[in-house]
Amino acid sequence: MVNQPVTRREFLGTTVAAGAGLLLTSCRPESASSPAAAPQESVLNKINVALIGCGAQGQVLLDSLLVIEGIRLVALVDIWSYNRDSNVRRLKSQGVEVRGYESYEDLLAHEKDLQAVIVATPDFWHAPVTNACLKAGLDVYCEKMMSNTIEGARSMVRTMRETGRLLQIGHQRRSNPRYQFALNRLLRDSKLCGRLTAANGQWNRAVTEDLGWPKKFTMTPEALARYGYKDMHQFRNWRWFKGLGGGPLSDLGAHQIDIFNWWFGVMPSSVMASGGVDYYKNHEWYDNAMVIYEYPLPTGTARAFYEVLTTTSAGGGYFEMFMGDEGTIKMSESPLITKLYREDRAPAWDDLVAKSYLRASATAAASGEAEKVDVRETAPLLQYEIPVTFNKKIHQPHLENFFKAIRGGVRLNCPADEAFASEYVIHKANEAIAERKTIAITPEETQA
Amino acid sequence: MATQFQVRIAGAEKPYAAQAAQAAFAMTDDLESRLSRFRENSDIARIAQLAPGEELRLSEPVFACLEIAEKMESATRGAFSVTAAALQNQPQRPRWSLRQESSSIRCDGGRLEFDLGAIGKGFALDRMAEVLREWDCPSFLLVAGGSSILAGAGPAGTPGWSCGLGENNSAQRYWLTDCSLSGSGLAVKGAHILDPRTAQPAHRQHRAWALTGTGAESDALSTACMVGGEAELLEIVGDRSDWLVFLNQGGGWRGGRVRPMTV
Repeated sequence: MVNQPVTRREFLGTTVAAGAGLLLTSCRPESASSPAAAPQESVLNKINVALIGCGAQGQVLLDSLLVIEGIRLVALVDIWSYNRDSNVRRLKSQGVEVRGYESYEDLLAHEKDLQAVIVATPDFWHAPVTNACLKAGLDVYCEKMMSNTIEGARSMVRTMRETGRLLQIGHQRRSNPRYQFALNRLLRDSKLCGRLTAANGQWNRAVTEDLGWPKKFTMTPEALARYGYKDMHQFRNWRWFKGLGGGPLSDLGAHQIDIFNWWFGVMPSSVMASGGVDYYKNHEWYDNAMVIYEYPLPTGTARAFYEVLTTTSAGGGYFEMFMGDEGTIKMSESPLITKLYREDRAPAWDDLVAKSYLRASATAAASGEAEKVDVRETAPLLQYEIPVTFNKKIHQPHLENFFKAIRGGVRLNCPADEAFASEYVIHKANEAIAERKTIAITPEETQA
Repeated sequence: MATQFQVRIAGAEKPYAAQAAQAAFAMTDDLESRLSRFRENSDIARIAQLAPGEELRLSEPVFACLEIAEKMESATRGAFSVTAAALQNQPQRPRWSLRQESSSIRCDGGRLEFDLGAIGKGFALDRMAEVLREWDCPSFLLVAGGSSILAGAGPAGTPGWSCGLGENNSAQRYWLTDCSLSGSGLAVKGAHILDPRTAQPAHRQHRAWALTGTGAESDALSTACMVGGEAELLEIVGDRSDWLVFLNQGGGWRGGRVRPMTV
C-alpha cells in the first residue's frame, strides 16, 4: 500500500477518514464549478469590495479576488492613473465593471454600499487608510507590513478594537493548507522534527534595476508631494526608503519571520542582526541583512537564522526550515522547494505514511525488509512529501478566510493583534542592525 | 515557457531602455506563472483538473492566449492544437469551449491537458511588445529561445532588424519590422512535435519558419508547418495575405509567398 503513489482524490478520502478535515475544504478545485451543481449566488448576498492600491501586490490580490465566489469588486483606488485606469479597462474587457478613484477619501465619499476593502498601498499609507476604513464601518484586509512604524501598527489594532470591525493582515502563508497541514499534523501532532533546536529561512534575489515608469505617465511634483513622495523614483521604489517602507527585511523577511513565530508558538526573546547599504548607491534601506533570533521553547532555546539578500539569487530559493534532532521540515510556497528530512535516529515514519500524513516515494517499503538481501539495480533514495496539493493562487485562501469571517462562522487566520506581535520583532531586527547590538524582547512589549 | 528571453531596444537612453526591458521581463515572469503546466496553481494546471461539464474562470492573459489558440487551430485546419500532447494519454482529444461572458473555460469532454509550448512564447512576446510601446520604445527586437522573434520599428536609419533563417549568421536574411518570425524543426529536439490529428511525431519538414503579424500566430503557424503537407500549407496561408511560410525539407528551400530581401 505504501508503495502506491497517493492521488489527490485518494488522499482526500483517506484524510477524511483520518479526521484531517481541513484539507477537504482547502484542496477542492474551488473555482471549478459545475453550472448544474453550483449554488446560485444571490446578488444580495455578495460582499461589495474595493481594492485600494493597484501596484504589483494589488495586482496579485486582484487575480485572486476575481475567482472568489460571493464577492463583487466595485471599485479600484490608486493615486497613479497608469495603474488605476489600465486595470479598470482590463476588468471591463473581462466583464467586470468597476469605478476608479484617486484617493481612499474619494472612495469612502462616493461608495456607500461597501462592506470591505483590500489595502495594498505602500506601507506608510497602511495605517491611515486602514484606520479610516475601519472607522467608516468597513472590514479591512491589509497587506503586511501593517505599518512602517510600530506606532502605526499599534494604532491599527486600537482602531480594530474600538470599531469592532475585522482586520486581517496579509501574512498569507497562515491560510496556506500545506503550511497548516505541516504545522498541525507533522510538527505538532506527530512531533516529526523531535526536539526543535533551530530554524533557517531565506529569500535571496538577484540584482535588479530600480523600477522605472513610462515617461508619459509621470505624476506632477504637486501630486507626488500630496501623497508623501519626493519624486517619481521614490514613488516607484518606496520599499527602499525610510519613512515609506522597511526594506527587504520588511518586504520579504516579514512573511518568513512570521512563520518562525507562528510555528515556534512563542515570540523570540532576543534578536541580533547585521546588514548595510553596501551595494546600491541610492537606497536608504539595507540591501542585505542577516538576523539571529533566540526562541525560548519549553524544550530549550532554539535559534533561528534569517537571511535576505538582494544582490544574488543563489542559495536555493525562498524557504523556512524547521530543524530538530529527529527531522527537518523545509517549507516554501513553492512545492518544488518543500522537503522533509528524517534523521537516522528518528522512529520510522511508516505509520505517518499509513495515516496519509506523509507520502513516500515508491521505494519506501524497502526500509522494512532489512532481513532480506537481494541484489538489483541501485534503489533511489527514500523520499517523503507533504501529501497536500494546493492549486489555488497563493493569496486566495487568506482572502477567502477574510470573507468567510465577514459572513461569520470562522475566525481570522491573521487578525491584527496577532500580526502586531509578529511584526514587532521584525521591526526590532531592523533596529538591531542600526544599533549594532543584541536587543532583548519581552513578551509584554510584543502586545499591542 | 522555460526559455531565455532577450530584449533589444534602439533609440532610447540606456537607463530608460533598461527599465523598460525590466518591465517587459516582469511581464514574462507573470505569464510564466499563469501558463506553465508545471506549476500546480497556474491556470493551465488548474484547467487540467476540470471534469467534463465544469468551468473555470481564467485570468485575462490566459483567456486571451486560449482565444488565439482556438483561432489558430481553426486557421490551420487542426495542424496546430494546444491539446496535441493530450493524445498520448487519452484516446481522443479533449474538447473545450471559452465563455466570453464569464471569462471562463468549460471542459466539454476528456481531460484538458494543454501544452502551450507552441504558442506561449510568441504570446509572451506580444505582451512584452505592448509594454515597450506603453513605454514609448517602439524600436525593439524581442527574442524567445532563439526560435521566436518579434520586431517592432527598425532602428533609425535602417530598413528594419536583420534576421536570418537558421543559425551561424545564415545567408538567408530579411529586414523585419512590426512582424514576428518563428521557427520549428527537428535539428535541436528531434521529432518532438506531435500531429494533433494522428498523435504521431510530425516530420513533414526538416525545418519550417512562419512570418506573421504577431508572435502568438507565428509560433503556432511554424508548428503547424511541421505537421501539414505543402499543399495544405499553401491553402492555409492562402487565407491570410499577411502570412509567409518557409520550408526546408532537407534538400533545399521552398517557400509560399516569399519575398526575400537578402542583405
